[in-house]
Amino acid sequence: MTTKLHRTYYPKADEVAREWHLVDASGQILGRLAAKIATLLMGKHKPAYTPGVDMGDFVVVINAARIRVTGRKMENKIYHRHTGYPGGLKETALKDMLAKHPERVIELAVKGMLPKNRLARKMLKRLKVYAGPEHPHQAQNPKPVRLD
Amino acid sequence: MRVKTGTVRRRRHKKILKMVKGQRGPRSRVFRRAMEAWLKSMWYAYRDRRARKRDLRRLWILRINAAARQHGVPYSRFMYALRRADIQLNRKMLADLAVRDPKAFQAVLETAMAAVD
Repeated sequence: MTTKLHRTYYPKADEVAREWHLVDASGQILGRLAAKIATLLMGKHKPAYTPGVDMGDFVVVINAARIRVTGRKMENKIYHRHTGYPGGLKETALKDMLAKHPERVIELAVKGMLPKNRLARKMLKRLKVYAGPEHPHQAQNPKPVRLD
Repeated sequence: MRVKTGTVRRRRHKKILKMVKGQRGPRSRVFRRAMEAWLKSMWYAYRDRRARKRDLRRLWILRINAAARQHGVPYSRFMYALRRADIQLNRKMLADLAVRDPKAFQAVLETAMAAVD
C-alpha cells in the first residue's frame, strides 16, 4: 500500500470506530469522573485523535444519583440559569438537583468540560446517564471503564 | 490621446473576483469588498503557514500522549524515557507510528521504558 509518509494522518468521518463504555458513578468524585467521561466522549484516548473530527465513543453512566463531591459543595454548590425575563435568575442547589434530576448533575459537569462548539453537541448526545444501576443499552454491550 | 483602462481593469477585477470565490455576500461579488477579502486571505495564509508547524506539533503530542497512555505511560514520562534511551525519533514520526503501526510504537515504548528502570 502506498501512503504518503510525510503526511500527518487525518481520519475520515466514516472510519471512526465507536466503542461503548460503561461507567459506574457510585462513590466517584463528580469533577474527576466528568473529566474521564469527557476524554472518552472527545476520543482523546485514541492515537488517531483529531480535534476537527468527531472521534468520540459512547459512554453509559449508571448510579448517577450516588455521585460524591468534596468539601461542602453538596450544600454550597449552586446551579444558575436565566429565563430571559427581568429578575428571572433561577438557582438550584446541588443537593436539590441531585434529588430531582440526578442525571443532570453529571451531564452539566461533562458539558462544561467539552469544547464549546458544534462537535460538543454531537458528543453530548453520545452520553447516556442513568440515576440507578439499570441501563437500556445491553444490546451495545458497553465495556466497564477502569476508574482509579 | 485619452487613455482608458478598459481591458486592463476588467482583467484585474476578474482575477481578484476569481480568487475570492466562497467568500460571503459582497466579499465575493463587489470588487472593492472582494479586494479587502483577498488581502485578508493572503495575510491569513501567510500567518497560518507558520502557525501550521506549531499546530501540527501540538497534534502529534496529543496523539503520542493518547498512544502512550494506552500502555499506562503518560506523555512526559515517555519523552523522558526516550531521551534516556537516546532514541531520536521525532514527534511527527512517533505520532505516525502510533496511528499507522501500533506494534512498532509499542516496541519503541518498551525499549525506551527499559532504559529508565
